[in-house]
Amino acid sequence: MSIAVEDNNKLSRLTNPGPDEQLRAILEGSSFDDYNSPLFIAWQINSACNLGCLHCCEEAGHSMPDEMTKEQALDFCRQIAELNIPYMAISGGEPLLCPYIFDVCKFIRENNISLKIETNGEFIDEKVAGQLAELKLRSVQVSLDGATAAAHERLRVAGDWKKAIEACEHLVNYGVNTEIVFVPTKFNIHEIGDAIDMAYSMGAYGFYTGKTMRIGRAAKNWDILCPSEEEYEKFFDVLQKKTAAYEGKMKVYYYPYDVIEELKYRLEAPSASLLVVPNGKVKLIGPLPFICGDLKKESLSRIWENYKKAWQNPEVIEFTRKVIADPKLLAESNNWRELNSES
Amino acid sequence: MNFTEHTKIRKEKFGTVVFDTLTEKIFITDQIGGQILQLIEQGKDLPEIVSTLGNSYEGDMKNIEKDVVEFTEQLKSSNIICESVQEQV
Repeated sequence: MSIAVEDNNKLSRLTNPGPDEQLRAILEGSSFDDYNSPLFIAWQINSACNLGCLHCCEEAGHSMPDEMTKEQALDFCRQIAELNIPYMAISGGEPLLCPYIFDVCKFIRENNISLKIETNGEFIDEKVAGQLAELKLRSVQVSLDGATAAAHERLRVAGDWKKAIEACEHLVNYGVNTEIVFVPTKFNIHEIGDAIDMAYSMGAYGFYTGKTMRIGRAAKNWDILCPSEEEYEKFFDVLQKKTAAYEGKMKVYYYPYDVIEELKYRLEAPSASLLVVPNGKVKLIGPLPFICGDLKKESLSRIWENYKKAWQNPEVIEFTRKVIADPKLLAESNNWRELNSES
Repeated sequence: MNFTEHTKIRKEKFGTVVFDTLTEKIFITDQIGGQILQLIEQGKDLPEIVSTLGNSYEGDMKNIEKDVVEFTEQLKSSNIICESVQEQV
């Protein structure tokens, strides 16, 4: 093989359609079937949470009786390292309530895997911020659903806006890449501009938002939460302006599609990622109820093969089409259904 | 040259995946691009990379060098590699 220019055969160039297309880029030039293992793992490490957010995708609160033990969790991490999976995000519940969170994070980082932690921030004091800084994480993502305590706490039941703000300040002080996540609802959508400005003034690395996902508790509270089309129009207009205003200073990232649009796309092009829930079951994708594996019984490698097959399963295809036709079915997303891995 | 702190490289049967986990951007390159990335990972500098590729593939060395320089410049502008550890963000 020649790399000389005689026949215009130059080195193949890097290809990437751009940050807004990040998930689609996973499939650029290849099928997810071709990947030896996932590129990304989203892990809901526990279900316990001190809050009762009206829009919680996971309907978190109490621990599940069959959550993975520390040993099972560490074995899972060992498999992630063996399969050379480059990136994972740990959420919950509230992950900092997991008694072995730092053991897991340490193992992940010692194996040079990029790690993001998604938290409500309420357990991050100066000491915890220091511990997180030592891990050299890719980032810590703090949920901040308002520029005011009133908006944040109305949505995040039992939440403490001040604690979330202080968490961000501690993290920034320790040099941790701190990202803010804002979920728009009727209660807080008008605060988007101020929330972005506040994130910047706190020294956040990035600000993430997008349309609220109609899954879990959000689906159950949809009528009281879902902003109107007009509200969304203004919201995206503000986002566009703020993105331009903070270019080069702070990353403002928003995903413009809703969960139905995402499902339509995923049916054609599944992503090279897995979603692991606290008891070790592996979901096909957040908005669908299907389980394609169980880490307590199967290897991660086997589950990856199950996942690839599952997207061809007629039951999955049929149900996904029904959800697309009737988004109310998204309320089923946490009523898990096990798929037969042989099918 | 070094990879930036949050860049991960993984070889697949269709090529090499370059994952900037900080920006969450994914790039894909072919076998030769993958070989260059592997050489960078081994700590090779530009002349060593050109020389290694020159020994592996037929072609004019000047053209190979031009291609390698172009490719590494692209890697730099995409923040996948940097000149030294100090530059890592």
